[in-house]
Amino acid sequence: MKEYEMIVIGGGAAGLSAAIEAKRHGVNVLLIDSNDKAGGQLVKQTHKFFGAKMHRAGTRGFNICKELLKESEDLGVEVLLNGLVMGIYDGDTVAVDVKVSLTEHKLMMLKAKNIVISTGASENAVRFEGWTLPGVMGAGAAQTMVNYRHVLPGKKMLMIGSGNVGLIVSYQLMQAGVEIKGIVEALPKITGWQVHASKLTREGIHIYTGYTIKKAHGTDRVTGATIAKVNPDWSLVSGSEIEVDCDFICIGAGLKPLTGLAHMAGCELIYDKALGGWAPAHNYNMETTKKGIYVAGDATGLEEASTAIEEGTIAGAAIAEATGHLSAAEAEERKAGAWRRLADLRDGFHGEERLAAKNKQLAEYDRLMGVRE
Amino acid sequence: MSKAYDVIVIGAGAVGTSCAYHLVKKGMSVALIDMRDVARGSSSHCDAAALLSDKQPGVDVALGYDSIRRFLELQEELSNPFDLEQGGSLTVCETEAQVELGAEYVKAMQADGYDFQMLDKYEMKQKEPFLADDLPGGFWSSACCSLSPFKLCFAFVDEVKGKGLDVFIHTKVTNILLDDKGAVCGVDTDQGRFTAKNVVNCAGVWSGKVCDYLGLYFPVEPRNGIILVSSQTAPMCHQKVQEYGYLITKFQTGFKQDPLVEKYNVTMNIEPTEGNNVIIGGSRNFTGFTEVADINVIRAIARRAIRFFPILKDMNCVRAYQGMRPYMAEHLPVISAVDEVPGFFIAAGHEGDGIALDPVTGQLISELVAGEKPHKDISEYSYSRYKGKGPKA
Repeated sequence: MKEYEMIVIGGGAAGLSAAIEAKRHGVNVLLIDSNDKAGGQLVKQTHKFFGAKMHRAGTRGFNICKELLKESEDLGVEVLLNGLVMGIYDGDTVAVDVKVSLTEHKLMMLKAKNIVISTGASENAVRFEGWTLPGVMGAGAAQTMVNYRHVLPGKKMLMIGSGNVGLIVSYQLMQAGVEIKGIVEALPKITGWQVHASKLTREGIHIYTGYTIKKAHGTDRVTGATIAKVNPDWSLVSGSEIEVDCDFICIGAGLKPLTGLAHMAGCELIYDKALGGWAPAHNYNMETTKKGIYVAGDATGLEEASTAIEEGTIAGAAIAEATGHLSAAEAEERKAGAWRRLADLRDGFHGEERLAAKNKQLAEYDRLMGVRE
Repeated sequence: MSKAYDVIVIGAGAVGTSCAYHLVKKGMSVALIDMRDVARGSSSHCDAAALLSDKQPGVDVALGYDSIRRFLELQEELSNPFDLEQGGSLTVCETEAQVELGAEYVKAMQADGYDFQMLDKYEMKQKEPFLADDLPGGFWSSACCSLSPFKLCFAFVDEVKGKGLDVFIHTKVTNILLDDKGAVCGVDTDQGRFTAKNVVNCAGVWSGKVCDYLGLYFPVEPRNGIILVSSQTAPMCHQKVQEYGYLITKFQTGFKQDPLVEKYNVTMNIEPTEGNNVIIGGSRNFTGFTEVADINVIRAIARRAIRFFPILKDMNCVRAYQGMRPYMAEHLPVISAVDEVPGFFIAAGHEGDGIALDPVTGQLISELVAGEKPHKDISEYSYSRYKGKGPKA
C-alpha cells in the first residue's frame, strides 16, 4: 500500500491551501479530488471577493483558483484526480474509487498518518410538489453549468431563496442571458447581502419576500411553478397563489458541511445552525477528536473561500510540524498569522455569529478531549 | 416524570415494536423506550427477508413459517405498508457435495410439509439467468418473503401510538426497579422514572447490558454483518438468492472455501428491492460494538457475489453498511418469562432471525405477559436454559 506523510481529501480552496502550505515545508503530500480538475467551487466563481487586499479582495474566484493551482503545481504537489474517497479506515487508510474511464473504475488503498478532510459542503434540498422533476436543481449546480461547463440550464428561471448564493447565481444567470422570473424568500426579508440584492432589483427583478414555492408544474420536466404567500406558522395563504412562467427552478436554500467521512472516521461532530448544521469539533491545529485527522473549510462549518484558505494553511502548517518538517516555533508563526487573518475575516456584522460558533467548536474539542486550561 | 404503564418495552427495533404492538392489541398500556430512535440499531442495518430456507428443520422452521403466516395477516392489519412480497427464495449449491447435503435438507423440510423442491442447473438458470454457468444445482422454497424492516417498525408504532402506546426515544434505561418481594416495579432512565409491573427486554445486542441491572446471566454478543447496496439496475435477480454455504456458516464455523472469503466469514446472498437496487450480503464476524463497515470485508463480499453472479462485476456499489446481530452460542433466541424476577421478560438473541421471527415473537410475548398459554410450544426458547449459570462474574 502506497504511503504518504499527508493526504488531503478535496482540492477546493481549503484543500489546495493545506497541500501548498505543507509541501512548501517539504511534506510528502497527496491531494485527491473527485473532479477532473481541482479548485472546488472557486472554478465557477466569477464574482470578485470582498474584504481587504491580504484576503485577495477584488480578485475573481476563478482567478484565485488559478493562482492556487499554479502555486501547487510549482511546488510539485502530487494530485490524484477523478478519485472519489469512499472511506477512511483504521484512522490512516484511505479507500479511493478512481474513475479510469466512463465505464471503468479501480479501487486504490492509500495510507497516511495525517489526513485533511476538506470536502466542502452540499446543497440543502427543499421539498414541494414536483420537486423531483428534471429542471429543479441546486443553485450551485446551475452555477457550475453556466460558469464552468458553459451550458445554460434553461431560458426562464425561478429562484428559491434570497441568500447570497441565490442572489449571486441569479445575477450570473441573468448575465448569461437567462430571464429571471423572480426570487422567492419565505422569510419576511432578504437574507443575503444588500449589495447583491440591489444589482438584481435595479434590473427590475422582483424578490417575493414572505413567499414560497407551492408546486412545480410539468410531467417530463418543469413547465412552470406556483408560488404562494406564507403565514407565520409556515402554512400557505389561500388565494395568494401566483403562477410563474419558468422552465427551470433553482434552490438556494443554504448548504451543509459534508461530514460523511469525518463521521465514519469517528470524529466527534457538534451541531451549530450558524455553521450549517453538524460539523467536526477541532482544535487550534484544525485536528479533530481523532488523532491525525484534520478538517478545513466548509467541511467544518459553512463560511467563505477566504476563511477556507486560512484554515487549510493552519492544517498544513500543523502537519508540517507533526511530521518534523517545521519546528514548533516556525509552525506557530505560520499558524498564528493565519488565525489573525481569520479573526479579521470573522470581524464585524456578518461574521459575529460565525465567530461565536467557531469558538464553540474549539471549546467543544477541549471539553470532549478533557483538555484543561 | 413518573407515569404508570402495564408494560415497559426496552428497545424499539423490530422485536420491541412488534412486542409493543401485540401487547397493546391485548389491551395493555405500553411505554416503548429506546436510547436512540425507532429502528435505529440492527433493524435498519440488516437485509430484508423472512426466510424458511435458512432455518433448521423442527421448531426453528415451524416458528419461521408461523411468522410468515402472521406477516401476511399484518399486511392487511397495519395501515402503513412495509413492502411485503412473498417471492420465494432460491438456494444455490456450489459443488456436487453441497447438492447432496441440500437434497437431504430439502427432504427433511418436505417431510415436515413445507413446499421445497430441488432444481437442476437448467431449472435454476431459468429462475435466475445471470447465475454463473458452472453451478450444479440448488433448491427452491416458495413461502419465503421479502419486506422492509425499517418500515415494519414504524408501521407497528404508527398503528397504536397514542392508543395505548407511548414512545420515548433518546431515553436510556439506567436501572430496573424491584419491589420488596423482588418483582419488577419500574425502570429508571436518564429522562426520569417509569413504573410498570412488567418489563420486556427487547434490547437486541444491548440486552445483556439490560440484564446486568438485575444480575441476570445473558450471554448475547454482537456478531456483525456487512451489506452492500448496488446502484439501480435493470432486473438482474428476481428473488432472494443465497448460497448453500450460508446455512453452513450460520450454524457452524470453519467452513472451508476461498481464503479471503473464509477469513471474513463471507457467504453470498442477494435480493432485489422495490427501488431496483440489489442488496448483497453478507458476513458474520465478531468485531464488537461498532457500525463501521471494514473495506476488506466489503471487498470479500463483492468477490463472493461476483463468483455467483458474474454480471455484478460491471455494476457499482453505492453504499455499504454494518449491522450488529444479537448472537447467542445456541443459535436460539430467548422468548421467555424469567422465573427469578417476576414481571421480567426477555425477547432477544435472534441473531439474523429478528426480522423473520418478528411477528411471532411479539405475539408470544403478549401471550406470556397476559398470563396466557403460548399458542406454540416455546420451551426451547425458555430462559431456563441458563438456570444455575447464575449472575455474570
